[in-house]
Amino acid sequence: MTTQTCIGTVKGPGESPHEFTFIAPDPERRVKNGEFVYFMAFADGQERRILGRVTGRQPVKLFPDSFMADPAVPPESVAALLGYDSDARELFEITVTVLGFFDERLKDFINPRVPPVGGAPVFIADDAMLTQVLSRGRKGEQGSAYLGSLLSREPDAVPVALDVRGFTSTHLAIIASTGSGKSYLAGVLLEELMMPYNRASVLVVDPHGEYNTLQEMQNLPVFRDGNYQPRVRIFRPEDLRVQISSLTLGDLRYLLPNLSEKMHYQLGRAYGYAQRTWGEGKYTLKQLEYAVRQVGDSPPAEDGDAMEDDPTTGGLIWRLGSALGSSKIFHDFENLELTELFEPGRCTVIQLNEVDRREQQVIVATLLRRVYQARIDTTKKKVSRGDKNYIPFPVFCLLEEAHNYAPANADAVSSEALKTILSEGRKFGVSIGLISQRPGKLDSDVLSQCMTQCIMRITNPIDQNRIAESVESVGRDLLKELPALSKGQVIVSGASVNTPVLLRVRARVTTHGGEDIDAPAEWRQWFDREQGVSDRDEALIIEEEPKRDEDGMLWA
Amino acid sequence: MNDIGKRIGKIVKSNTHIDYVCQVYGPAEILEQPEPSDYAFGEFVAIELLSGSGPKLIGVIYNTLLLNPEFGNLGPRLSPRSEQEVFTPDYLVETATLVGIITLGWQDRDGRYWQGVPGLAATVDAPVRRLLTEELQAFHLDEAGRLQLRYAPVLLGQNNPLVPQLLMNVIDRLLALFPEQRRQLTVMRNNLAWKSIVQPAG
Repeated sequence: MTTQTCIGTVKGPGESPHEFTFIAPDPERRVKNGEFVYFMAFADGQERRILGRVTGRQPVKLFPDSFMADPAVPPESVAALLGYDSDARELFEITVTVLGFFDERLKDFINPRVPPVGGAPVFIADDAMLTQVLSRGRKGEQGSAYLGSLLSREPDAVPVALDVRGFTSTHLAIIASTGSGKSYLAGVLLEELMMPYNRASVLVVDPHGEYNTLQEMQNLPVFRDGNYQPRVRIFRPEDLRVQISSLTLGDLRYLLPNLSEKMHYQLGRAYGYAQRTWGEGKYTLKQLEYAVRQVGDSPPAEDGDAMEDDPTTGGLIWRLGSALGSSKIFHDFENLELTELFEPGRCTVIQLNEVDRREQQVIVATLLRRVYQARIDTTKKKVSRGDKNYIPFPVFCLLEEAHNYAPANADAVSSEALKTILSEGRKFGVSIGLISQRPGKLDSDVLSQCMTQCIMRITNPIDQNRIAESVESVGRDLLKELPALSKGQVIVSGASVNTPVLLRVRARVTTHGGEDIDAPAEWRQWFDREQGVSDRDEALIIEEEPKRDEDGMLWA
Repeated sequence: MNDIGKRIGKIVKSNTHIDYVCQVYGPAEILEQPEPSDYAFGEFVAIELLSGSGPKLIGVIYNTLLLNPEFGNLGPRLSPRSEQEVFTPDYLVETATLVGIITLGWQDRDGRYWQGVPGLAATVDAPVRRLLTEELQAFHLDEAGRLQLRYAPVLLGQNNPLVPQLLMNVIDRLLALFPEQRRQLTVMRNNLAWKSIVQPAG
């Protein structure tokens, strides 16, 4: 058994029933906010370590303010002058929220509701104990995602590994303001998912094109094990294809701008006509336009006489043409096949930079809908091996800028698909990871469905409130830390850890692709580069002197 | 080394049940005159209730007063001071050193020490002597051999500005005698020092 380090003495109960306070001199500043401490108590018939987290720290003994009147004179020297020359200069009252003892059988903390005895010693939890009880996963083991180490300890002293089973069944959210390292954390998470001990099937929706460095995983030895080697496929905007017939009526309505009531009605009828006539998922844009004409007020005659379209039909056809016909993404026959996108050990990155916002939403909506349907069909054995919708394994989809796909106070075509998966996807092995820098703009239902949360620095009060409303597992004490977190520091809570933990994210194995542009350096480079060119251009002009004859006349 | 501590004076008055005034022996009263260090502030003393091995009160010197009837008589004298010794020798004896003693416990007939307010009181002229180091040590140990300082609340309850300093003096002395109890004593001393030195100054 490791030696116990006593750091304080129990004072008494705290404000709420699950809190207690203790007094500690803490000269080494070990009892930080978020630090883990324990006391010994009898619970379930044996003496156990009852773990708690430090949530408050109030000084109970401080030098009088007047001792600090001169900044050059430390107050202890004033006290020494008066005859107080002891080292005992400070005393703190520390508030602790009790987590309980760790039950190995239940793999969770059990709060025995045993208050500590006043005057009982309080110990600081050692690294080995915390490694054992905080994480559900273990670094480098199957089903674990090692994200980093506990912030209150030395780097790597207490590794924290998420339980991949936790967030692949009940979803994950990464919430952080710009520049706090959310893409970096997502990169770490993806690396862990593609490690030989996980070999996940992952789809990343990347609106900024910053995940292409994940391709490095294919060549790094750390990701290899025997025959296994992760595969990373990147679909650039020009590679994306969405078959027009896979769009739902809702998608079409969403894509076509400013539809009148009548157009809505006619589009609905045309969609039904197309589905009935050519079958679900088996028509082209031309056929859809034909269907629009057929259900219009003045359908073309059977002999094919070209008649003038009525305004509604004309407007609809024009809109279909401009939204779908001019787009490279929407296609009559080609579609991104699910079997190309999903496979264990494969990370597929869909880059959506330079794609219109509405098109992005439709792409995400169709993809999510299709994969969810495919998983339902596979689970219910409606499709079998060889079928293009046969996906006999769970999948994880990571969505960057998730507030674009499920915005609060606005309708997006992708919201519905996302909400369906978030509430039902668990049964069919479809899980979602949401990344957002504006949780305030994210639909609150969507956020509250993510049972594992990685929250990084958030300074905006609206966003902080949204987190407080939607994320129950993070205590108020930890939420207070949000504005003070530094880059790369994250609060992880929920289903994948045993208790909320504050950790520093580990270094990425692959290069981080989300670096900001160094504008001053690029401006400088431009000058270095362009100076030579402009010098040359100017030099040519000077060299080219006009020719004159002896009379001084200019000749062309 | 003597078997008992040096005699320093006798009880002449009491202010309360635990607060006595002892007159330090003058030049003609005892063979071995007490040194000032024998009745210094914070010195532990025993007040003998009966001569020999009877019960004793244990106390500590917390105050000193000088008695001098001549103070204030600034006018001329008919007889010079050197002649006074011959003509009025008792006049000189009226100058005296008084020390205040507060009792902190007692020693019973069986030789056992007890801390707290003693049931018995001293009588006028009861002899007062210094407490030996061994006696001081024994006084501060309970029956189980643990260090005890049960008189501290009684001391702190006295309305006397010298009490915190007195207690710190006592603790400093005990620190040397009981090095193994250093941590408890230090907590007590720091607390006293903080309250009596740092806080009032702030």
